[in-house]
Formats: sequence, structure tokens, C-alpha cells
Amino acid sequence: MFGWLRKGGTEGRPPRASGGGDDLFDEEFQRKLDVLALVSRRLVAGRTRAERRSKKTGAGIEFADHRQYAPGDDFRYLDWNLYARTGRLLLRLYEEEEDLSVYVLLDVSRSMAFGEPRSKLDYAKRLAAALSYIALANLDRVSIVTFADEVVGRLPPTRGSKNRIFKAFEFLRPLEAEGRTGTTDAMKTFVAQNKRRGVAILISDLYDPTGFEGGINTLRYHKFEPYVIQVFDPVEVRPPLHGDVRLVDNETGEMREVTITPRVLERYAEAHAAYRARIEDFCTSKQVPYYALETSTPFDEAILDILRRGGMVA
Amino acid sequence: MELTGLTLTEVLTVLGGFAAAVVVLYLLKLRRRQIQVPFVHLWQQVLAERQTTRLFSVLKRLLSLLVALAVVAALAFAMGDPRYAGAVDEGQTTVVLVDASASMQATDVEPSRLEEARARVEELVAGLGGNDRMLVAQMDASTVPLSPLSGQTRLLREGLEELEPTDVAADLSRGLRFAADVLRGQPDPRVVIVSDGVLESGGEAEARAREAGLTVRWMPIGEGGRNVAITAFSVRRYPLDKSRSQVLVELWNPTDEDEAVELSLLGDGQPIELQRLRVAAGERLRRFFQNVSGADRTLEARITLADGSRDDQPADDRAYARLPERRRARVQAVTDGNLYLSAALLLDEYLDVVEVPPSAYPAEGRFDVTIFDSWVPPTPPDTHAIYLHPVPPEGARAPFEVTGEIERPFFDDIEHEHPIVQFTALRDVNVATSLEVELRDDDRVIAGDRGAPLIVAGTRNDHRMVALLFDVRRSDLPLRVAWPLLLLNSIDWFVQEDAGYLSSYETGETWHVPAPADVTTATLVTPGGEERTVPVVDGRAVCTGLRAGFYTLRTEGAEGAPEEDVFAANLGPSREAVIDPVETLEVAGRAAEPPSIGRAGVRTEIWMVLVLAVLGVVLVEWFTYHRRITV
Repeated sequence: MFGWLRKGGTEGRPPRASGGGDDLFDEEFQRKLDVLALVSRRLVAGRTRAERRSKKTGAGIEFADHRQYAPGDDFRYLDWNLYARTGRLLLRLYEEEEDLSVYVLLDVSRSMAFGEPRSKLDYAKRLAAALSYIALANLDRVSIVTFADEVVGRLPPTRGSKNRIFKAFEFLRPLEAEGRTGTTDAMKTFVAQNKRRGVAILISDLYDPTGFEGGINTLRYHKFEPYVIQVFDPVEVRPPLHGDVRLVDNETGEMREVTITPRVLERYAEAHAAYRARIEDFCTSKQVPYYALETSTPFDEAILDILRRGGMVA
Repeated sequence: MELTGLTLTEVLTVLGGFAAAVVVLYLLKLRRRQIQVPFVHLWQQVLAERQTTRLFSVLKRLLSLLVALAVVAALAFAMGDPRYAGAVDEGQTTVVLVDASASMQATDVEPSRLEEARARVEELVAGLGGNDRMLVAQMDASTVPLSPLSGQTRLLREGLEELEPTDVAADLSRGLRFAADVLRGQPDPRVVIVSDGVLESGGEAEARAREAGLTVRWMPIGEGGRNVAITAFSVRRYPLDKSRSQVLVELWNPTDEDEAVELSLLGDGQPIELQRLRVAAGERLRRFFQNVSGADRTLEARITLADGSRDDQPADDRAYARLPERRRARVQAVTDGNLYLSAALLLDEYLDVVEVPPSAYPAEGRFDVTIFDSWVPPTPPDTHAIYLHPVPPEGARAPFEVTGEIERPFFDDIEHEHPIVQFTALRDVNVATSLEVELRDDDRVIAGDRGAPLIVAGTRNDHRMVALLFDVRRSDLPLRVAWPLLLLNSIDWFVQEDAGYLSSYETGETWHVPAPADVTTATLVTPGGEERTVPVVDGRAVCTGLRAGFYTLRTEGAEGAPEEDVFAANLGPSREAVIDPVETLEVAGRAAEPPSIGRAGVRTEIWMVLVLAVLGVVLVEWFTYHRRITV
């Protein structure tokens, strides 16, 4: 009856746009990165640089398998002992040792702009920076790729000193949340552009109207090792809404009219949890590591948790 | 059910208009707030479920519409002021007559009887039924309504605030006549008298009230207590020594106990006399104060109990008097020498006397009075004049035409009421001879032998004139006290000093206060400082007052200069000193019973219930909104 009196408030306020604030990668952040790098070394102790063996067979020293000789093969690799026992010409195959490539795939679609006090994109930027730093510290080749419904930007692969992280900072800092989410198409582009296989860390809210599965599968099908980090804001789970409202998707502009009641909010929270559960189930079934992170979780704690649980990097 | 406010048509019009507006607003599409979300598909499942609750939502909006319509209907109906049909004709109509007489100022009940009466009437007002109406009136010498005839308690209480004490007796007959006029044709007419019962009889009005079907109730006030009253207070100047006064005070103890009191006199506000007196129970004690000096304009009497405390009736513990104005008169005495005349004029220190022989007449200067001793001027003077034995010389215009002489006349006929012969004894005065004269039509014989005037008053040349038609030296009048009195009374009469001056007026009566003859209105300033304009008729301001004390009459004198005259008013009837309340108040031979308070208990207007219901609905709506129950 007195609805006209109740206008105002904060519910209708659009979410803060993601900005590359200078405080995003401040000194405090960098100190935390150093700590994470040290901790990550301890957690993956016993391994040395570039020790990760690739799936490729080639000119390494570790025996991997045999295969039938084919004309043109190098005679030096024929297993003469086996030929003596079996009379078959089989070729020795060795595992090829190569540098690990780490691809950080960062979702910069408009839905990543949500979140208070920091947007999901800011949080994702910090995660991306931290993971890159750890990878660089382990002498891996790191590349950062941003995408929405297509690949938007790319930090070329880089390896070497940790100081290279500043290039990553410069790349990440100006990123803005724009465009619609289209993981499948973006990943197709990514795999086409990057022939060198490696770890693909997908950082996204996975709010993809066409489905999150396509993008992950694309990475899998093209021999990448996908890791999925889903970031979401607590407000997305429990939005402070009430009354008659018109919901507008900030990516698609799609609208839904709904009367928000406590019961409706409860249903929405259930739907959100079910969506996350579906992602987790999918990843588990495909043996894809999956991490769901709330932006309220400090990023360094989140990284340590990830390291403890699976050693995503190193 | 009947509507006593708006008519049914008006109620329906209001209802229709606002209901239509509510429905139109209901039909308008609800304007929703626009909220941006990151992934609207997540809401799909929720919205799918919402389809199942859509019916409930529609019903909720419909319920909201019905509540809004109910609120509009309740308010519109309330504007009609609905009442139960049976209750409309059952209201009482009551006139409350609150006694504001002097006896109601008694403090035998805290803080006073009048305040007690006010509180009791408040109870009557609070007990008004929903259909009852009441009028509150102040009853003193007259009856004045303090409120309209209304059922609105606020108006009645506001009227009650204006109740003021007076120093007069309450006139029950006027009160009853007023009540009968107000209640004529009203349903269930009642009169409630709130009084200590000290009232002037209602007389014929009581019987009329009974005949008119009025139910008369009495709400007694007061418990009784100690009181000694000043019931008379008068002062006058001595005619031959106007600097001194004679004062009369009468005290009355109407109670059953002897009382010792201190009586003090204040002249011009300063104490000049103090006496301790004992007044026996029921005694009226008179005291004369002789040769009172020290008071020039005002005199006030006060009494207190000898132990320093005040009695229970302060209204009659004070009395006020105004001393007559003393004016200095300039007198021209035209005489060849008259010791009797000179000696008489010396008695009044307020006379400036100039003696001249007839040959030197007129003397230089302006005079108020000219006395001609056995001589008459050629033309009448331009002043007031006293002619002693006016025998005109040849060619003179005598005040009278002398036709002869009368031997040994006697004062057989004396007009004692005339100011010039007040306080004189002339009956046995011996006179050798007097003049026989032709009187004019407007001449007035003040004293004389049968058919032969001896003292005449009249007008000559537009001035007053007194003539003694005999030679005082050939009479024994100069040997008597009457001689100087006669002269001085005549001079006072000329200069408007009234020997019959009233030192005070009585409250509640109509006063005729001397004022300049050439004005038509005057301003009366009451002891409380209130000013009001009063008419002046024939040189007298006609006015009245309800409070004892000193009043000021302000007029516009010659050349627009303001003139002020102070006079006193005192509590009138001594019966107001009786502060023991009466046992029963009889009206038309029947004892008035106490009124029933709060018959209806509380006011039960339906509109109040409707408005309360609306407020309740609004409260519930507000609560459910804030607790997110309905949104």
C-alpha cells in the first residue's frame, strides 16, 4: 500500500564495475606471493626443475614403450634383443622431457563484474597472478589468456625469473569485465591457437548460458590438463532482494519478473547450490580437479588449499 | 443505524470516487524495481516453481485490493457519523449552571469552591454519553453561557476554563430562566446547579422550570468554615473640615463561634488605623472612626483573624471607598462689611475669598462664586451667585422683582432633599422681615413661609443662583450652625461637590457614575485592568462590575485631554458571607437531587470504531511489510 515510500535503498544499485585498481597487486599482495611460492616448494618437495615428463615419446632417456618398425624409422632405436627372442622388429620408444606449460584461462565476461566489496574479476585476477607467480617460481612456462565468448587477450608464454610476474601484473591490471560468456567457443579458439599442451587453469564463474561442459571438454579433448576454479560472490548466493522486482541478466539483457519472498530466496539458494553441484559432479566424473571459491575467502588461503588438495602447479 | 454526519448519498459518492481510484490503481501494471543479476538462468527453476504459487500471489494482490477498499469504505462510512437508530433520540440535554458568586470563593475546600466546582463539572463532561449534549454557563448576577450546547467535550472544557469568580450574589431565577430558554424543545432536558446553595431565590422561575419539564439537579459544593465579613463601609468628609473624614465599618460574624479580628484602614494605600475587635457569633458590629485623616482619595478596610490567619472567605475581608474630590473654589464677596459672612467663609480652608465693596465691583480675576450682600449689580454676574437680601437699587436688573415685605416669616416648608439645606436645621430660625418677590417659572423654593419664599434656587445668566430673601443680620440664623452650612452647601452645589456623595457602589448593581456632561462614552477600567467602553447619559456613566475594588472611569475632557476618576465598588449582599453550605436546595418546593455522573460510561460513536479499525489495518500492513511477510 505504501510502496512508493519504499523506493531507494541499495538493492537496485548496479554492481561495481571491475577496475584494475593500483591496490590490486600492492606490496602486501606481492609479499603473500613470495610466501606462497615458498610453501608451494615445500608441498611439492623432491621434484626438480623441468622434471615433469610429457606424454610425448621422443628423444628422452626413459624407456616408454615399443612399437612396430615402419620404414624410415631410425635403426638405432630398434630393439635387437627382442628381435632375437621374438623375430619381430620393434622400435624402442622413450619419453620426451619438456618444459611444463601453464595456461591461466581467465573469464572476463560481464558477470564477473559482480561482487562486493571486490568483484569476482578482481578476485580472479589475484588468483591468476598468484598461480602464475608460483608457476614461474617453478620455472614453468606461463601464459595468461582472457576470454568471454571468445579469446579476448593473451599474455604470451613466458618463463624464467619470478620477476617476470610484473608483466603478468601489467597484463591483468587494466582488464575490464565485458561481453557475454561463451566458454565452448573461447576454448575452441584457445586450443587452436596453442598447440603446446599443458595445464589449463580455467578461472570463471561458469555462468554460461550454453553450458559449462563444452569448454572443459574441449580442453580435455585436445590433451590439456584442465583445472577448474569457479569463483562466486556470497551475494550471488543470498541476494538481498525483496518484493516485486524485474531481474535483468547483465550479459544477455534477458528479463524475468519475480516477487521475491523468503521462500523464493531459499529456492534460489538451492538452485545455485545445485548448479555448483552439477559442475562438481561433471568435473569429478571427468577427473578434472574442481575448486569452488567464494570471493570472501582470502586469496592466499584459497591458493594454499588448492595446493594442499592437489598440487595444481609445480 | 442512522447517519448523522454526511448523508447516505454523500457517503456513497465519496466511497464511489475513492473506490474507483483504488481499483484503477490496482489495474495499473505494477511497476517493478529493476535488478541486475549475473546469471538469470539460475532463477529459471525458481520461476518455474513460481508458476505454482502464482494463484497465491494473485490472491494476495486481490486481498490487498479488498483491504484498501475496506479502508476506503470504513473512512467514508465514518464521515457519515453513523449511530444506532435507537440511540439517536436517547441523549440528554443538560445545562450546567455553575455558581460563580462571592461565596464560591471560599477556601473551605482546596483550593477553592469554584475550583472544586470546575473539577466536578469536568467529571460531568467526561461522563457525557455519545448522544448527550451539554452547555456550561456561569451563574452570578446574570447568567452567561461559557460554551455552546454541544456534545464535544473539548468545547465544553474550553468553556469551563473561562469560569471566573465574581463578588456578587448568584441569581437563581435568571439562571433557571436561561436554562429553560436553552432547553426548550430539547430531548430529556436537565439542569444541574453546581453551587454551595447560597443563592437568591429562584422565585417564579423555579415553578416555570418545573412546568417546562426540566429535571433540576444540584451538585453541592463546600464544607463550611470560619468567616467574618465587612458588610458595610462608608466614608464622608466633614462638611466644615474636609481634610478629615468620618468612616463607618460594619462587621458580621455569621458563624457559631466568636472571632477576634484585626481591622485596619488604609488611606491612599498607607495604613492609618488599626483596631482589634471581638465579634460575637451572629453579631453585627458597627464601628465609627471619627476625624480620620491621612486619606485624600481612597480608603480601604481589611480584616484578618487576630491570630494572623485568614478566614475561609477572602472575598468579604476587604472593602473599598473613594473620598469625594476636594476642589478649591474662588469666591468674590461683594459687601460693605458683614462679619457673619466673613466668619462663615473662613471655615472652609478650600475657599479663596476676595471681599470687595459694591463700589469696587467687579474685582479683578476669575471667580467661581459671587456673593452679593444686600446689594444687587446692574447686570447679573457671569458666575454662580448667592444673593443675600437682594434689594435692587434704582436701574438695576434685580434677580427678582420685589413686590413688598413680609413680617416675621417662618421656615415652614423646607425641601430637605436639596443639597444646599442638607445637614441644616432651619425650622425655628427667626427672621424679622423678608422680601416678597415675583419668582420665575424655573425658580425653586427651597425653604419658605407658606406662600412666601425665604430661600430660592434658580438660574440667572446661565449660572446657578441661590437667594436668601431676608437680611441675615436681622435674623438669628448667623448664630446657628445652619448658617455656614447653608453657605458652604450652596458653594459646593455650585462647584459640583455633592454632599450626598456615594463613597462606593455595590457590585452587580447598575452604577451611574458622574462624568462630564459633554461626552457620550467613557472607558471603564476594572480592578483587574480590563477596559471596556460604557455609555454616558445625562452626565452619568452607566455601567456595572462584578468584582470589588477600585474602578477608573476615563473620559475625554476639554480640548481632548484625558480625565480620570476613581470610584470604589464593594461586595453587595451580606448573605454571601454565610459560607456554611445549605443542607438541601429546594427548587419549586422540591429538594433537588444530585446528578448521576457517567450514565453512558464511555462515548460509543461508531465512527471512532471505524477509524480505529482503519488504524489497526494500517498498523498490520506496516508490520507485515517490515517483517517481509507480504512482500
